Amino acid sequence: MMSHSVSRAGAAALLAALVSAASLSAHHSFGVAFDATKTVTLTGVITKVAWTNPHTHIWLDVKDANGQVVNWMLEGYPPNVLERTGWKKDVTIKVGDTLTFFGWRARDGSPYAHLREATLADGKKLYFGPPAGTGEGPATVK
Amino acid sequence: MRTACFVMSCVLGASLASAQTPKIQPAPKTADGKPDLTGVYQASPRRGDWDAEAPGDEPGVPAPRSAVSINTTASDPIPFTPEARARAQDILNHRSIDDPTSRCIFAASPRISGVGLFPIQFVQTPTQVIILYEYLSSHRVIPVGGKHPEDLSPSFMGDSVGRWEGNTFVVDVVGFKPGGWLTGGLVTSDALHLTERYTRVDRDQLNYEVTIEDAKVLTKPFTQRTTLMLREGARLREYSCAENNMDPGVYEKMLKDPAASQSFIRGK
Repeated sequence: MMSHSVSRAGAAALLAALVSAASLSAHHSFGVAFDATKTVTLTGVITKVAWTNPHTHIWLDVKDANGQVVNWMLEGYPPNVLERTGWKKDVTIKVGDTLTFFGWRARDGSPYAHLREATLADGKKLYFGPPAGTGEGPATVK
Repeated sequence: MRTACFVMSCVLGASLASAQTPKIQPAPKTADGKPDLTGVYQASPRRGDWDAEAPGDEPGVPAPRSAVSINTTASDPIPFTPEARARAQDILNHRSIDDPTSRCIFAASPRISGVGLFPIQFVQTPTQVIILYEYLSSHRVIPVGGKHPEDLSPSFMGDSVGRWEGNTFVVDVVGFKPGGWLTGGLVTSDALHLTERYTRVDRDQLNYEVTIEDAKVLTKPFTQRTTLMLREGARLREYSCAENNMDPGVYEKMLKDPAASQSFIRGK
């Protein structure tokens, strides 16, 4: 039996190879709005939270290099998915909290981003959205 | 190829199962002796609790794991007609910007059954099997036995009629609206015909296999497979997709921006 020697990561990689032809997306693919080559990491103060479907959004005031405040809109999973992974509405994040986010910028360069990982004021890290590339499918039809 | 994939899936499923939870319990039965599909499931390669993304994934890396946590469907190669293949390539080139689900429109079961982010609930009676999907808050009521209605009106999820073949619940689905999107850029027609096979192989694992036929866009049928794993304690919640769906507006705005519009296209 090979079973006990198969790590979860190894098995996941093998399964990923098996599913490569499928490439389904939930709601929409990452690439329709966001650019996987444009990462962004910023810290700011939360000004609004929309705990809504099909995406949860956070608005964040971020000071740019010139000291000007820019309000960013950050997009992630729907509330159901967040609540199953440790987020609580009005508890995990609130208006006025400081938040650091890592994500990918919108294709049009506007202050709009896909939020992958959020670092809360207490240092706790939580995922807010899927990795770049989710749902885009292969570059060439197979 | 089809057989090879099936065997690999079986080996992988068995490996994962025994590596993590060796205790396999038999599938439950109903009072009338049929396999009982009742339960809440997640499309996932492993048994146990809800399969959220694994902590420790590198957040900056476009992770192949995304394909596992979000979609667990293994698919045979899609036998596109030349025209359908060209359309699929165009869709992939444009990063699926016109995907109907981005406008909250329902999709056929091969697509929504593999989305591991959202639970699926089966409710079984002797005369009906009801499948509730959290994704898009959609559902199917599947009568056991009988025929498709004479006054069938085309729909996005089709009309389903089920029957038992041994321990497998087989569902025949027809009556689709044209223009639905399935896997890999496949846009289906009103000729879409699904044959689904649901087999609860043990208490925790419900195998989903679907054969997809569509003579207008495929040269022959092909099959996809997903493992649905029991998730006791998971509950379906509302997913009212149109509540705050900014996406079509965002895309429209970006498409009017020449630079952003070009960046939608792969390789630009």
